[in-house]
Amino acid sequence: MTTATHTPAAHAARVLDAVKVYGRGDTEVRALDGVSVDFPAGRFTAVMGPSGSGKSTLLHCAAGLDTLTSGAAFVGGTDLSTLDDRRLTLLRRDRVGFVFQAFNLLPTLTVAENITLPLDLAGRTPDRARFDRLVDTVGLRDRLHHRPGELSGGQQQRVAVARAFAGDPDVVFADEPTGNLDSRSGEEVLRLLGRTVRETGRTVVMVTHDPVAAAHADEVVFLADGRLVDRMTGPTADRVLDRMKAFETDTGRPSAAPPATASLTTRGGAT
Amino acid sequence: MRPPATLRLTLSSLRAHRRRFLGTFAAVLLGVAFLTGTLVMGDTLRASFDTMFTGATRGTDAVVRSATTVTAAGEAQGTRGPVDADLADRIARVPEVAAAAPLIEGAGQLLAADGTPVGGKGPPTLAGNWIEDEALNPYRLSEGRTPHAPGEAVVNRGAAKAAGLRVGDTTVLRTPDPVRVTVVGLATFGGADGMGQVTWTGLTRADAERYLTARPGEATSIAVRAGPGVSQKELVAALAPALPEGVEAITGQRAAEENTEMVSGRFLGLFTTFLLVFSGVAVLVSVFTIHNTFAVLVAQRTRENALLRAVGAARRQVVTGTLAEALAVGLLASAAGLLAGIGVAAGLQALFPAIGFPFPEGDLVVTAGSLALPLGVGLAVCAGSALLPAVRAGRTAPLAALRETDVDGSGTSRARALTGGTLLAAAVGTVLAGVLGDDPSLWLAATGAGIAVAAFVVLGPVAASVAVRALGRPLRGANRGLARRNALRSPGRTAATATALMIGVAVVTLFTVFGASLKATMDRTVDRSFAGDVAIGAPSFGAGGSGLSPRLAPAVAALPEVGTAVGLGSGVAEVDGRGRALTVTDPAALARTLDLGEVRGTLTGLGADGLAVAADEAAASGLAPGRTAELAFTDGTRRTFTVRAVYERADLAGDYLITREAWAPHRTQDADRLVAVAFADGVSAADGKAAVTAVADRYGQPEVQTREEYAEASAGGIDMMLTLVYALLALAVLIALLGIANTLTLAVHERTRELGLLRAVGQTRAQLRAMVRWESVLVAAFGTLGGLTLGGFLGWVLVRALEGSGDSALAFAVPSARLAAVALIGLAAGVVAAWRPARRAARLEILRAIGTE
Repeated sequence: MTTATHTPAAHAARVLDAVKVYGRGDTEVRALDGVSVDFPAGRFTAVMGPSGSGKSTLLHCAAGLDTLTSGAAFVGGTDLSTLDDRRLTLLRRDRVGFVFQAFNLLPTLTVAENITLPLDLAGRTPDRARFDRLVDTVGLRDRLHHRPGELSGGQQQRVAVARAFAGDPDVVFADEPTGNLDSRSGEEVLRLLGRTVRETGRTVVMVTHDPVAAAHADEVVFLADGRLVDRMTGPTADRVLDRMKAFETDTGRPSAAPPATASLTTRGGAT
Repeated sequence: MRPPATLRLTLSSLRAHRRRFLGTFAAVLLGVAFLTGTLVMGDTLRASFDTMFTGATRGTDAVVRSATTVTAAGEAQGTRGPVDADLADRIARVPEVAAAAPLIEGAGQLLAADGTPVGGKGPPTLAGNWIEDEALNPYRLSEGRTPHAPGEAVVNRGAAKAAGLRVGDTTVLRTPDPVRVTVVGLATFGGADGMGQVTWTGLTRADAERYLTARPGEATSIAVRAGPGVSQKELVAALAPALPEGVEAITGQRAAEENTEMVSGRFLGLFTTFLLVFSGVAVLVSVFTIHNTFAVLVAQRTRENALLRAVGAARRQVVTGTLAEALAVGLLASAAGLLAGIGVAAGLQALFPAIGFPFPEGDLVVTAGSLALPLGVGLAVCAGSALLPAVRAGRTAPLAALRETDVDGSGTSRARALTGGTLLAAAVGTVLAGVLGDDPSLWLAATGAGIAVAAFVVLGPVAASVAVRALGRPLRGANRGLARRNALRSPGRTAATATALMIGVAVVTLFTVFGASLKATMDRTVDRSFAGDVAIGAPSFGAGGSGLSPRLAPAVAALPEVGTAVGLGSGVAEVDGRGRALTVTDPAALARTLDLGEVRGTLTGLGADGLAVAADEAAASGLAPGRTAELAFTDGTRRTFTVRAVYERADLAGDYLITREAWAPHRTQDADRLVAVAFADGVSAADGKAAVTAVADRYGQPEVQTREEYAEASAGGIDMMLTLVYALLALAVLIALLGIANTLTLAVHERTRELGLLRAVGQTRAQLRAMVRWESVLVAAFGTLGGLTLGGFLGWVLVRALEGSGDSALAFAVPSARLAAVALIGLAAGVVAAWRPARRAARLEILRAIGTE
């Protein structure tokens, strides 16, 4: 489903043979070990995997926040490895949106200013009507002139979602966006993401370790030990949970609850 | 034995936060170095002069001189009467005396090979007789021979080098009457090129008497060498019966001490006090910088301190820990500062002679006192500045909330605004009461000025939020907007950072305004009181120069192009018991070239017993036309004079006018300080000046100045002083700059996650740098603006408080071009200060920054 104003390429983002190695010698950790995955435009994709599976690293590299050791990452048709720091920054500003787990907002700016921050940095004037629609979608009209400090955690994440979509990006990357929220607030944020994708044809890639969160996506890709191990369309929380369990048995890991307690996590690739 | 826990924590914290203490370290180091340098230099100068004067009189066991001195009000050194040169022969016959020689000394400025005067920028330019007795002559011949015939001279080697003169060369000695001399020899002083930067020309005794004394047969003093086994004290006692009335003998040692004291009191005292004041400014500025650093550190360490308190650290331990950190930094920085200060003194010792400043040679003198004081100041400043933050650290609740750094409104409380406002009102009130009355009170004005400074410091945070908002308003764009908000985040911190700069800029402004006012006053004086067309002057500073030939004025007056030319000479006498400077001139002619204002009585025919007195001085000493005053001269004579006229304007003419006829019997070496010239009717300015210059060239080539040039030359000393002040204040501004840089670095550290987020959502490195830079510029702009305001106000207060009434009133002037330059430098300081923090901020790795706790 696409809108007239938004005609995405077949893939909003993808990585090809992505390898990311941290450290060297004895301490070498292969956070990504030859992952190839594409994130179709107009879809809400969740990236699942236990701690240390490399899912956050995948997201960071796909979004141009980090660089691959080898392989390639594309946003739309742009090969990120061909960009210098400035162009990469401009790409993030103009074509990518972000929602982090926490600390998404600048405390000195009001809600409205936080939402338009990428546009302001670009020196662009936000389209009034689009901005209003966005604010109504996230339901923050009465909070526009508040500072982040005056908002609840859930409200702050909704502001972050609005900010991520404000610049009309090719793709929005969300890194555990509900990780710091209670389940009700988390649910609201996830619905918001799903609704935005389905109603306006945007692309969202979300990293999560929570099967319930993953169930909001159109498709789930599973990562383990830096490799892509499975994909699932039309996920439900139960199916995802089952898959995770099975997958842990597959790899012969000591059984642990799927939202794995941090055990074998690596520094850089920590989820 | 393990050190106590608090100490271990302190040390580990210092190690961990080394970079953050850099600013504090540098601020203390610079302040201490300046202070140490000043003290060491003062001691070294004092010791050098001491050595120099002792060396000058080493072979002299006693000095015989006139007992009469007259010291004019406001002068440090009195004028002593002459003695009879023949007295030396009588003294030589005293059994205890081995030798006695008359010493004739006067002003004598050499002209260099290229015709320019040598020296005269502070140290004396002297001439005297060459004494054949080696023990009594501090100079030794190093080349050539001693003067035998008229017109032969020995020049000290330093002066010869500066003048480009060699043995056999002929040049002019301004005594001030130009004397053609041939250099027949070069002399050294105590093995060096000269007595410091003093230039000295030795003539034959006959020449010295002819050119350097008022009449032949006079000597400045008589140097006496004792016979074998006679002590200096015994010699002085033995001389007493041989001396006529009004002549005294002192030991050689006492004479050296008097010379040292004179230089210490008159030059060194002023010099060191001057430098100490600026060290004080630098130290004050560093107090704000250091206080700020610790305040920020304590705020950043809230969690750490809360944890310490939670695991059982007593409040006292947290306070002690923070203070110990401050002391450790203070100790290290002070130690480095002491070394740097000694280095600075050594550097200046090498540098000053190169720029013609009198810094005699000799080893550096480093006393315990000049090390202990700066060390104490360094430690006290550190501990004192950290005290409040430390107490605040101690108050950290064990369960201090672990919250994000947020916008804090600290320091903008109503109570602060109220206190500051009250202080400001009190300051303005006190100052106005002090300066607006008929009789300005310097004391009240100073108190008011002090309160004003306090008010500015208290009001700082309140003003910071208002001013930054206003200054930042015209800034457009996301990055500048962010910069403005960041500067507004913690008004207390912004204010403290800016206060350091504010104080530096305020002092710069104060001096700039004061200097400009003095210049304006000088301009106005010349404009109003100088009625002539050109002035002939011999610009010199301090004890240098030798004035103008007394024959110049009559020669110029004889020109057909000239209507009136009148010389103004300097004399001194006690008028009814009070030492006063006299202007020796032709009062009637003077009135034609200077505007003396309203004159009561008559200026013509003052004769040998008439005086003219300035109105203010007349009122103060109860003189009026027709009254008499008793004048006591340096030759010991007393004469009764009648006041013939009272004139209004004393600014160029001086307080007392006396004729040459009256002065002649009592005169010392004859010299005019100024020749005022009025052209004859119908003579063009160019023709007149050319004619006068041609004559002046025959009398030692003094400068012929138009009214504007004369006003400018009169103000030349002010510019020199200002340049020195700016150089000294550069240090305070540098410390302030370090303070801004330091606060920014700490802020960047504190906002790591925000910066990471900004970069993630699309702020380029260049934009981020611009953001940090604009924040810095806003803080600097606030500080500069505050400094300009405060300094301008204090300058006005100073001018008003110092002003006399009527004609002598100072003109208040605001040099807008200079102040604009100060403002620009302040803003540039902001840009420079942001350079390193901005670079560091831009280098942050995005993912690591976002992940930072």
